[in-house]
Amino acid sequence: MTTGFRDDVRTLLEEDSVRSTVADIAAYPPGTEVALLDVYRRLGERGWLAPGWPVEYGGLGLGAVENAIVTEELTRAGIPDDVHVLCVDLVGMFLLHAGTAEQKARHLPALARGERLATVLFSEPEAGSDLAALRTTARRDGTGWRLRGSKIYNLKSQYGDFALCAARTTDSPVAMHGITLFLLPLRAPGVHIEPVPGMANDRFNLVVIDDVRLDDADVVGEPDNGWQLLNDMLQLERTGIDFHAKARRLLDQTIDRAAGQGLLDDPEWAGRLAELDATLRAGHALAWEQVHALAGGRPDPVTSAMAKWYTSEQIRPILTAGTELAGLGAALSAWDGTTGDDGTWEAALRMGPSHRLASGTSEVMLFLIATNGLGLL
Amino acid sequence: MTTTFPVDLRERCAELFCADLAPMLRRLGARDKGAGAGAVLHPDDAATREGVWAALADLGAFGDQRQRDLVDLAELAGWALYQSPLTDSWFAAELLTATGDPAYAPILRDLAGGATALAVAMRERPGDEPTEPGPLHRHEDGTVDATRSVVAFAPDAGHLLLVGTDGGRTLLAVVPATGPGVTLRRHDDIARGDLYTVTVTHGEIVGAVHDITDQYPAALAGARIRHAAYLAGSARGAIEVAAQRLRERTAFGQPLARMQALAYRFAALAARTAAVLSSVRAGALAADEGADVRLTGAQVLLLAGVLAQEAAAECVHVHGAHGMTEAGDAQLFYRRAVVDAAWLGRTPSLRREAGRLLAHTRFPPR
Ligand SMILES: Cc1cc2nc3c(=O)[nH]c(=O)nc-3n(C[C@H](O)[C@H](O)[C@H](O)COP(=O)(O)OP(=O)(O)OC[C@H]3O[C@@H](n4cnc5c(N)ncnc54)[C@H](O)[C@@H]3O)c2cc1C
Repeated sequence: MTTGFRDDVRTLLEEDSVRSTVADIAAYPPGTEVALLDVYRRLGERGWLAPGWPVEYGGLGLGAVENAIVTEELTRAGIPDDVHVLCVDLVGMFLLHAGTAEQKARHLPALARGERLATVLFSEPEAGSDLAALRTTARRDGTGWRLRGSKIYNLKSQYGDFALCAARTTDSPVAMHGITLFLLPLRAPGVHIEPVPGMANDRFNLVVIDDVRLDDADVVGEPDNGWQLLNDMLQLERTGIDFHAKARRLLDQTIDRAAGQGLLDDPEWAGRLAELDATLRAGHALAWEQVHALAGGRPDPVTSAMAKWYTSEQIRPILTAGTELAGLGAALSAWDGTTGDDGTWEAALRMGPSHRLASGTSEVMLFLIATNGLGLL
Repeated sequence: MTTTFPVDLRERCAELFCADLAPMLRRLGARDKGAGAGAVLHPDDAATREGVWAALADLGAFGDQRQRDLVDLAELAGWALYQSPLTDSWFAAELLTATGDPAYAPILRDLAGGATALAVAMRERPGDEPTEPGPLHRHEDGTVDATRSVVAFAPDAGHLLLVGTDGGRTLLAVVPATGPGVTLRRHDDIARGDLYTVTVTHGEIVGAVHDITDQYPAALAGARIRHAAYLAGSARGAIEVAAQRLRERTAFGQPLARMQALAYRFAALAARTAAVLSSVRAGALAADEGADVRLTGAQVLLLAGVLAQEAAAECVHVHGAHGMTEAGDAQLFYRRAVVDAAWLGRTPSLRREAGRLLAHTRFPPR
C-alpha cells in the first residue's frame, strides 16, 4: 500500500503540468508567492493532500505514514510545502483532534481539497519562543468574545480564509493557564494584514486584530486550555520529516554539483559529502521512527524534539558546502536570469536561517530534550 | 537447535545490562595501569566474565540472530562498556558462515552454546585498517604464518580468525588459539583491556584457507553497523553518567544541571545519539533484507565513532577533575572510546571510504 501510494503521488507530481508549475514558481517576480496551487487541488481531489484524515473530511482514512509521504514527495518535486503544512499538518490537524463536529464539517473538507487556506497566528512581537507571554486578548462579550492584539511572522495570511489564533482569555499568575485557541476569519472587518519586509521569498505578515467579535462556536478545544492543546498538537506535527526532506533536496543538488565538477573523485570533497549524507540518513531514520510511533499511537515528545533539532541543524552545513562549490554562482538570484539552477540555491540561502527557528527553535528543542529527556535544568 | 524466546533479545538482555550491574560490568577485565604484558586478572574477575558470557549464551546472544536484534544487544553492551569478545565473535561467525566450510560447524555450535569465543585478527600493525588486512603466508604443508597486533581477547578465544592478503586476494585461515606455533603477548593499552600481539609460525589450520575477497566487505559492513550500535550505546551511557553528575554537583548555589550551556550540550549529544541509533537500526534492517550495506556501515561507524569520543570527553569535562579519577565511570568511557572508535576503521579512513562509495550509491533507497 505504502509503496503504491508513494508511486501514485510521485507519478502525479512528475506530470508536465506540475513540472512547469515548479519552473514558474522559481521565476515568480518579487512579491508573488505560492498560495493555493492547482497541484494542491489535484492532490486534494484524490484525497492525497490529507490522506490520513477520514474519508468524510476529504482524506483516505489512512495514517501518519501516508501524510509523511505526501510531505516528502512535495518537497522532492520542488513544490513549496508551506501551504500544505499550515492547512493540513497544523490547522487541519488541530481541528481534527480538538474541533467540534461542526468545525470539522465546515472546514476540513475544503482544506483537504486544497480549496481553502488556513494560517497560524501564534507569534507576537513580544512573544515567540516564550509563547505563554502572548498579549492578544479575548474578552467575554455576552455569548461571544472580543479579540484585540497583534500577530506577527505568520505566513500566507494575505491569502488565507481563516486562521488558528491564540489569545489570552483569563489573566493568571501561571502564564500557561488562560490561553484559548480561536478560529479567526481573516477577511472579517477589524482584521488588518500588513507585510513585514524580510529576506525570504515568502513574506511575513503583521496581523492586527482590532476588536473582532467571535462566537463560542469559534473556540477550538476548551476555553483557557489552549496551552495544553498547543503543546500536544505541535508535538504531533514535529517528526522532522519536512526538514529532512528539504535538507535531502539541498544535499542531492550539492552532490550533483560536485559530480558535475568531477569532485566526487576528490577524496576530501567526497568524504565531506559522504559525512553530510551520513547525518541525513540518520535524520531520515530518526524522522521515520517518529512517523511510525505516531502511526502506532505512541508519539514521544523527547525524541520528536530530537528529530526536529537534528534534521533542521543539517541544513546549514549543507548550504555551506553547496555554496563553496558554486562560488559566486550561489549569490546570483533567479531574477538575475543567468543562473543554471533557476536561482533556487540563492533563494535557499535566504531561507537558511528559518529552519532552526520555525516550528520551535533549536534552543527550544534542546530545552525539551534537556528537561524531559535528561532531567536537567 | 533454535530456541524460541517469549520476548526479544534486547528485553531479555536488559536484565543483565542494568543500572545495578553497570559499575561492575564497566570494570570487568580491567587491569592495573601499566601492568604490561604480564598483567594478571583477578580470579573473581575471570569467573564473573565467564558467568556473563554464559548468561549471554543462555539469553540467545550467539544463536541464529537477525542483525536488528544484534544491534539492540550491541547497544546495551556499549552502554555497559562491556569489554568482551562479543562483537568480534559475531563478526567471526559471519565470516565462518560465509565460507560454507563444514569444518567450521563445531566451532559455530560451540559459540552458539557459549562454550567458546572467537577473535578476528586482521591488522599486522596497530595503525593498519581492517580494510587492508596484513599478509598471510601459506606453506606447502598447509600451515600458515602471520603476525597480528591488537587482537582482542585472544586468550579467551578458542580460535583465531586470521584475515590476510596474499597475491591481492583476501584470505581467511582459522587457527586454534592455543595451537602449536601460536604465541600471544598482551599489549598495554589506554583501555587497559585485552589486546594482544599474535604471532603464528607454521600454525595448523582448521579446514581450508578460504578466499573471502568477495564476502569480506559485506561481513565487515555488518560488523561496523553492530559496532556503531555499541559506540552509540557507550555515548548514551556517558551522557547518562554526565547528567547524573550535573544533577548532583552544586556550584554557585545551584546544581550544575541548571546551567543551560551544559544542559544543551548534552541534549544535543543525546539527539545525535538517537539519530545514530535510528540509522543503525535502519542499516540492520537493510542488512537483514540482503541489501548492500557497505556505505551504510562506513557512514554509521563514522558518525558513531566521533559521537562516542565526543560524549566521553564531555562526560569527563563536566565532572571537573573528579572525572579524571578512578572513582567514577567518566574516565572509563573516555579511555575505552580511544580504542573502540578506531576498532573497525578510523574517522578519516571511513570518511574516504564512504566518499568513494557515495559516488555509486545514492540516496534514497526507498
Ligand atoms: C519561516 C518562518 C515561518 C513562521 N511562520 C509562522 C506562522 O505561520 N505563524 C506564527 O505564529 N509564527 C510563525 N513563525 C514564528 C516562529 O514561531 C518564531 O520565530 C519562533 O517561535 C521563535 O520566536 P521569535 O522569532 O520571536 O524568537 P525569540 O523567542 O525572540 O528568540 C530569539 C532567539 O533566542 C533563543 N531563545 C529563546 N528563548 C531561549 C531560552 N530560554 N534559552 C535559550 N535560547 C532561547 C531562540 O532560540 C532564538 O534563537 C515563523 C517563523 C519562521 C522563521
